[in-house]
Amino acid sequence: MSKPSVSTPKADILVIDDTPENLHLLSTMLTERGYKVRSVTKGLTGLRGAQAAAPDLILLDINMPQMNGYEVCQKLKEDDRTREIPVIFISALGDVLDKVKAFTVGGVDYIAKPFQVEEVLARIENHLTTRRLQKQLLTQNIQLQQEIRERRQAEEKFTKAFRASPNPIAIMTLAEGRFVEVNPSFLRMSGYTREEIMGCLAADLNLGFTQDSYHQAIQRLQETEALQNHEFEFRTRSNETRIVLLSTELIDLSGDRCVLNIFNDITERKRLENEFISLVSHELRTPMNSMIGSLDLLATGQLGALTEQGKQVLNIAITNTERLVRLVNDILDLERMKSGKITMQKVKCNAVDLLTQAAEAMQGMADQSHVQLITEAITADLWADPDRILQTLTNLLSNAIKFSEPGGAVWLAASMENGEQGIGDRENGVGRDPSALKIYVRDQGRGIPTEKLQTIFERFQQVDASDSRKKGGTGLGLAICRNIVEQHNGRIWAESTLGQGSTFNVTLPLYRN
Amino acid sequence: MSKCVLLVDDEEDVRAIAKLGLEMGAGWKVLSASSGLEALDMAAVHQPDVILLDMMMPEMDGRMTLRKLKENSATQAIPVILVTAKVQPSDQASFAELEVAAVFSKPFRPLALAQQINQALGWPAESPM
Repeated sequence: MSKPSVSTPKADILVIDDTPENLHLLSTMLTERGYKVRSVTKGLTGLRGAQAAAPDLILLDINMPQMNGYEVCQKLKEDDRTREIPVIFISALGDVLDKVKAFTVGGVDYIAKPFQVEEVLARIENHLTTRRLQKQLLTQNIQLQQEIRERRQAEEKFTKAFRASPNPIAIMTLAEGRFVEVNPSFLRMSGYTREEIMGCLAADLNLGFTQDSYHQAIQRLQETEALQNHEFEFRTRSNETRIVLLSTELIDLSGDRCVLNIFNDITERKRLENEFISLVSHELRTPMNSMIGSLDLLATGQLGALTEQGKQVLNIAITNTERLVRLVNDILDLERMKSGKITMQKVKCNAVDLLTQAAEAMQGMADQSHVQLITEAITADLWADPDRILQTLTNLLSNAIKFSEPGGAVWLAASMENGEQGIGDRENGVGRDPSALKIYVRDQGRGIPTEKLQTIFERFQQVDASDSRKKGGTGLGLAICRNIVEQHNGRIWAESTLGQGSTFNVTLPLYRN
Repeated sequence: MSKCVLLVDDEEDVRAIAKLGLEMGAGWKVLSASSGLEALDMAAVHQPDVILLDMMMPEMDGRMTLRKLKENSATQAIPVILVTAKVQPSDQASFAELEVAAVFSKPFRPLALAQQINQALGWPAESPM
């Protein structure tokens, strides 16, 4: 009935019996079955052996001189090193009481002599298996407890970081944008209570940052796993606008794909920055005023004739001062637009007039650069600030001409556009402008690398850092254009093929009765 | 006929340049005041043909100086041109309600200043000296 114990060939069994014949018999039988056997004739020796190197199982005779089996077993059970070793008593004492005592002192089994070899083997195998399983359970249990501890620690760390973070944090489902968890900083910034926000859709709360640009960011997030410091406008409960830098990570919350949104409220920083720019700009204007005036007076020659070199140097001073004036004006302009100090004076105006005026204004520059300026206007009524649109178009034209080779051409043209290209408040379902006018400025210049197509609309982000010096720009032109266009609920973007030219597109809402 | 201009600006350099420009460019007589208070006295005493008034000055600013000039019967008829670094449409709108003949923005070109004044006040153009 017993199989050869191939499964546990190395199980280490200690046999303690004062009868050498028994000892020999058991030892031979077990060794034949592949067990590793230690056999001793004295209780104390067996005890020491077990303490020194714990066997997997002990076969223990009861009736022994000096220290009998019960005592040996008791000692084994008292010692941490040997407590868990299963002890099987083997004895000729057939009395029921002996059996009871054997179990009381900690034995797992009792085999009566004379024994059947197969029976002994079966019982040994049984107890070894039980012991092995017990050990496995114990190890698993310890591992589980360790894991629980680690998880609890990690959870506590995260929870604390989440709760105490000065950065507003919000976790939303990826699919719907439903709030799953928000931290106190987020509640403070947003002005909502926990009850108002939990379980709500971000889109329903009109938080501003969940507009188109956010969805684009989330789309990119799915490709890249994480996004860092994207600037958004965040609308609070009291309809106040906060400027935030948003970093996002994808996380898995019990099977739900979620977005961890970490905000950095930079409104105050921006305000200070703008205030500083404004202050500096004003302080720069006054001395510049005097410089320009002085240079102008010098240039008349009425204060004394200048040598040719003197005139050359004076020209350098004039050109650079003028550039400085443009720069300061642009900085001021942009700052005022961004801080809302300039509002667009929108009126009904004709696209043909705007395009014609812009082209006329830039004709001189085009002629000087030997660039052909081609205008293809179409009739459309726009709802726009004509001065600002003109500023935008002349700026784009000026760029196009600057980056054209002599003999090249620059196009200023317009076409009707279906409004499904991200104009208006698609989020709110308003769709104020089902159609718009697209104006574009195309050149045959050197083109713009793909990775720069977005950033050129940021402040001081020319394609080539030396452009502002070589081309006399301020690095703010496109930022101003973007601001103007956005304040018209329009869109501005660039398309380009390196070496073949660029196209700058502007969409503007049509006038509606 | 040679005109007399009163320049009011707290910046000495700006006064010097405007003065040179007007003198060299048009041969006008130029008086300078470095503060609103000084301007009130000089305007009453010298009766200039026009006052060029800087908007941003410490203590008495252009707006306040303008009001005082218009309150005084001795100076209220003298045309005033505001000179300002604020050139935004929203600022321009706030000037519209003021009793000024024109608003010039800084930086100005000193040699073109006389011509600019002529145009703003409807004076006949004159050939520069």
